[in-house]
Amino acid sequence: MLLFWAVAGILTAAAAGLILMRAAGASAEAAVVDPAPALYRRQLGEIDDLAERGLMGDAERAAAHAEAGRRLLAATDSPAEVWNANPRARRFVLLVLAAAPALALGLYLNVGSPGTADQPYARRLAAWQRSDLASLNPPEIAAVLRQATSERPNEAEGFRLLGLAESASQNPIAAVRALRRAAQIAPERPDIWLMLGQAQVAAAGGKASEAQGAFARALQLVPGDPTARYFLAGAKADAGRTAEAVADLTALAAEFPAGDDRRAQVQAAIARLQGQPAAATPDAAADPGQLAMIQGMVAGLAARLATKPDDPDGWVRLVRAYAVLGDTTKRDAAYATAHAKYAKAPQVLEQLDEAAKAEAQGLTR
Amino acid sequence: MIVEAGAFALILALALSIAQVVLSAAGRIRRSAPLAGAGEGAALAAFAAVAMAFAALMHAFVVSDFSVANVAANSHTAKPLLYRVAGTWGSHEGSMLLWCLALTGFGAAAVGLGGSLPRGLRALTVATQGVLGTVFLAYTVLASNPLVRVLTPPVEGRSLNPLLQDPALAIHPPFLYAGYVGMSVVFSLAVAALIEGRIDAAWSRWVRPWALAAWSLLTVGITLGAFWAYYELGWGGWWFWDPVENASFMPWLVATALLHSAVVTEKRGALAGWTVFLALSAFTFSMLGAFLVRSGVLTSVHAFAVDPKRGVLLLIILGVTSGLAFTLFAWRAPSLGQGGLFAPISRESALVLNNILLAAATATVLLGTLYPLIREAMSGESISVGPPYFNLTFTPLMAALAVLLPAGPLLAWKRGDARGVAQRLWAAVLVAVALALLVVAITSPHKAFAAAGVGLGGWLVVGALVELLERTRAFRAPAAETWHRLTGLPRGAWGMTFAHLGLGVFIMGAVFETSWKVEAAETLPRGGGLDIGAYHVTLDDVRPVAGPNYDADRGTISVTRAGKPVCQVAPERRLYTVGGETTSEVGLCYRGASHIYIVLGERRDSGAQPAWLVRAYWNPWASLIFLGPVIMALGGLISLSDRRLRLGVGRRREPAA
Repeated sequence: MLLFWAVAGILTAAAAGLILMRAAGASAEAAVVDPAPALYRRQLGEIDDLAERGLMGDAERAAAHAEAGRRLLAATDSPAEVWNANPRARRFVLLVLAAAPALALGLYLNVGSPGTADQPYARRLAAWQRSDLASLNPPEIAAVLRQATSERPNEAEGFRLLGLAESASQNPIAAVRALRRAAQIAPERPDIWLMLGQAQVAAAGGKASEAQGAFARALQLVPGDPTARYFLAGAKADAGRTAEAVADLTALAAEFPAGDDRRAQVQAAIARLQGQPAAATPDAAADPGQLAMIQGMVAGLAARLATKPDDPDGWVRLVRAYAVLGDTTKRDAAYATAHAKYAKAPQVLEQLDEAAKAEAQGLTR
Repeated sequence: MIVEAGAFALILALALSIAQVVLSAAGRIRRSAPLAGAGEGAALAAFAAVAMAFAALMHAFVVSDFSVANVAANSHTAKPLLYRVAGTWGSHEGSMLLWCLALTGFGAAAVGLGGSLPRGLRALTVATQGVLGTVFLAYTVLASNPLVRVLTPPVEGRSLNPLLQDPALAIHPPFLYAGYVGMSVVFSLAVAALIEGRIDAAWSRWVRPWALAAWSLLTVGITLGAFWAYYELGWGGWWFWDPVENASFMPWLVATALLHSAVVTEKRGALAGWTVFLALSAFTFSMLGAFLVRSGVLTSVHAFAVDPKRGVLLLIILGVTSGLAFTLFAWRAPSLGQGGLFAPISRESALVLNNILLAAATATVLLGTLYPLIREAMSGESISVGPPYFNLTFTPLMAALAVLLPAGPLLAWKRGDARGVAQRLWAAVLVAVALALLVVAITSPHKAFAAAGVGLGGWLVVGALVELLERTRAFRAPAAETWHRLTGLPRGAWGMTFAHLGLGVFIMGAVFETSWKVEAAETLPRGGGLDIGAYHVTLDDVRPVAGPNYDADRGTISVTRAGKPVCQVAPERRLYTVGGETTSEVGLCYRGASHIYIVLGERRDSGAQPAWLVRAYWNPWASLIFLGPVIMALGGLISLSDRRLRLGVGRRREPAA
C-alpha cells in the first residue's frame, strides 16, 4: 500500500517536473520567429536543386520559382506572431499542476481499487499447492494437478486424477486431453479407457461415436465389461444402426440380475430406442451425474455463444447438442439464430442442417 | 501494486490530457510561451503515463493476474507467451487502451517533432490532440477500463478467441491502430490551421509526413489483416468486403486522396480547402471504424470486442469531435485562398481527378457498409451487402483510376502536354496489351475482362517504370548522366514510383487470383487424393498432436504434379481445450507467386474407415496480393525519409536574445 502511494507520488512529481521543464524551456525561446519563410526559402532551393540535376525543365523552373517567391514574400510580409514569456503564466501553470493530480486522485479513489494486491498466477498456484487438497474446489485441484503432471509427465495416475478434476470443473475437453495422455502412458488400465470414453461422450455433447475407440480398448482388456458394451451400443444407435443397438442392449440387460439398478437403466435405454416414452426411469439413468455434466456443458456453450457469437463450429455443436438432448424448442431457436448469422456461409448452413437432424436417438441423453 | 499503479497512471494521464488542453489553449490565447511549453510537457507526460498503464496491463497478462477482470476474461495460463502479450489488445478494453497509447504517443511525437511549426499552430495542434486524448481517455477510464479488479479472481482465465491467437494477428492491431490514430495528428493540424486561418503550402508540407507515416502503417496493418484472414479463416479468401475490413479501408482511401491533394497544396497552394476537408475526414473515418468494429451494429465475420452500449458512447464521441471540426471547417473554409491556377490538362488536374475517383470510391464503400444498417433501421429487415455490390461500384472506379494513373506523374505542373505523355507511354500500352493477350492465351477458361484487369496491373507497373526512365532520360542520354539523375532523384519521387508499382503488382495478383482460382473439396480417407488444377493432393496421414493449449489433428498432405513430388504441407484442425472452439491452420505450398492452399476439415467417417474433409485451392499469383501493398508501404517509408520532409529541419537553435 505504502509502496503504491510512493509510486503514485513519484509519477505525479515526474509529470509535474516535465511540465515545468518544458515551460521553462519555452520561456527561453519565446522570441522565435515564424518558420514559414525559412520553409519557402528551402522550397526555392529545392527547385533550383532539381533544375540543376536536370530533373525540371527551364519553363517549369521559372514558373515554380516565381510562385514560391511570391509565397515567400507573402510570408515575410505577414505580421509575425509575437509571443511573450510573461512570468505571470507561472502561477497559472502551478494552479493546473495542483488541480490535475487532485482530479486524478479523486477519480482514482472512485474508479480504482486502492490497496488491492497483485495476484499473479504463480503465487496463487504456490498457495494452493501448500494448502490441504480438501479445502480446494475442483478447478483449483485441476490447476495443482496440471502443474504436477507437467513436472511428472510420465505418471498415468496424475493425469487420471487431472481428468477427474477437469470433469468436475465442467471442462470435458480438458478432461479428454488429460485422460488421453493417461491412456497413452498406461494403455493396460481399463479404468482409464472407460473414463476416457465417458469423458469423450460428455465432450461430444452426448454422442458416443468418437468414444468408440476407447470403449473398444476397455472391452479388449476386460471382455464383457458392461459399461463399455453399453456405450458401444450407444455408438451404434448414433450411427443409425438401431436394431443392432437394441439387440446388444437386450443381451446386456439379461446379464444383470432382476432388481439391479443397471438393468432398469439399460431397459429404459432400449425403450427410448424403440420410441417408447421412458417415463419410469429418469433420463440420467445411463450414468448418474452425466446428464448434469452434459447439461452444464451445453449451458456453458450457450452462454459462451451469447457473449462471443462468432463461432460457427460452436453454433453447430450447440444445435446438435440440443437436438441430441431432444430439446426441440431450444434447438430451433439456436438454429434460427445461427442460420440468420451465417446466411452467407453455405458450408456452415450445411453443417447446421445436418446437426439439427441429429435426433434424440443417443442413449446417453 | 503494479496493477493499481497502472490504474492510477491511466487516470493521471486523463488529468494530464485535460491539463494539456487548458495549458495549450491558454498559451495560444495569451500568446504565452511558458503556457504553451507547459502544455507540451503535459502531452509528453500523458504519453508516459498511458505507456505505464499499458505496461502494467501487459504485465498482468504475462503473469496471468486474474484479479484483473480483463485478464480473466481474455487470457489463460496455458496460452503461449506471445498471445498472452497480444491479449493486452485482444479485447474491447485493451484495444481502447492501445488506441489511447497511440493517440498520446502521436501527441508526444507532434510535440517532439513539431519544432518547425509556427508557435500558434503548434499550440493549437497540441491542444486539439489533447481534446482527442481527453475524450478517449475518459471513455477508457470510465466506460471501458481494462484495469478494473475482481474481488475473487477465477482459477483460470476464459482465454482469447483462438482465431486471434496467430502471429500475424498479434502484430496486426498495433500497426492498424498506429495508422488509424496517426491520422489524429493530421486532424489536429487541420483544426489548428482552421482556427489560425492559415492553410497554405507550408501547412501542407507540415501535414504530409504525418499523413505519410499513418498511411504506411495503415497499409501494413490492413495487409497483415488480409493475410491473416487468408490463412487463418481457411475460406481461401483474403478480402470479404466485410464491414470490419471496410472500416479500415475507408480511412486508407481518404488518406491516399489526402497524400495526393496535399502535394497540390504544397506545390501550388491550390486545393487548400479540399486538403483540409480530407485531413478532417481521414481521422473521422478512423473513429467510424473504431465505432463500427466495436458497436456490433453490423454483423461481421470478424467483429470483435462487441458491446452495443459502449458503442453508443463511441458514436457520441465520433459525432461531437468530427461534428465540431466540420462545423469549424464550414465556418472558416470560405475564407481560404484559392491558390495557383492550372489548365484542364496538368498534373494538378490529374491529381484532382485522382481525388474525385478516390472520394467516390470511399463513398461507395461507405454506402455499402452503412446501407444494411440504414435499411434495418427503416424497415427492420436485415440484409448484407456483399462482393457483387462492390464489384459493380468500387471496381470500375478503381479501374478508371488505374487507367489514368501512369499519365499523372508524366504531366507537367500548371499546363501539361497530353500528346507528349501519350507518346511516352506507348511502350507501356504495348506491354499491357501484350500481357493481357498472353494471359488470355495461357489461361483456361479464357476470361477477357479479367485478362484486361491483369493487363491493367501491368500497365501500372510499366507506367511507373516509364516515368522513372523519363525522369532519368534513360537510353536517351549517356549512361553517366542517367546514373547522375537516378542518384539525384528525390526520395519522394522514389516513394511515388514504389507506391504506384506496388498498386500494379497488387492489381495483377488480385485479378488473377480471383479470376482463376480453382477449388476442390472431398472427403478423403488416409491415402485418398483429389485433383486441383495440374496438381494432385494426397492425404498421407492424419495424427493427433498436442499444442500448448489445443489438441489438433495434423494432416500430412503431399502435393504432386505429373507424379513428381512438389511439396508436403501439414494443415491442422485445432480444438482449443478451454473454449472448445475449433480453428484451422492452413497448409500453404508456395509455387512461385502462386499458392496451393490446403485446409483439413472435420472428420467425416465413412463406414469404419476414418475420413476427413479436405479442401484445396489453387490460388495463382496470390503472393502478389500481399507483396503489392508491402511495396506500397515501402514507398511511403522511402518518401518519409526524404530530407525535404524531414521533421524538425529548420528548427531554430539560436538562444533567445
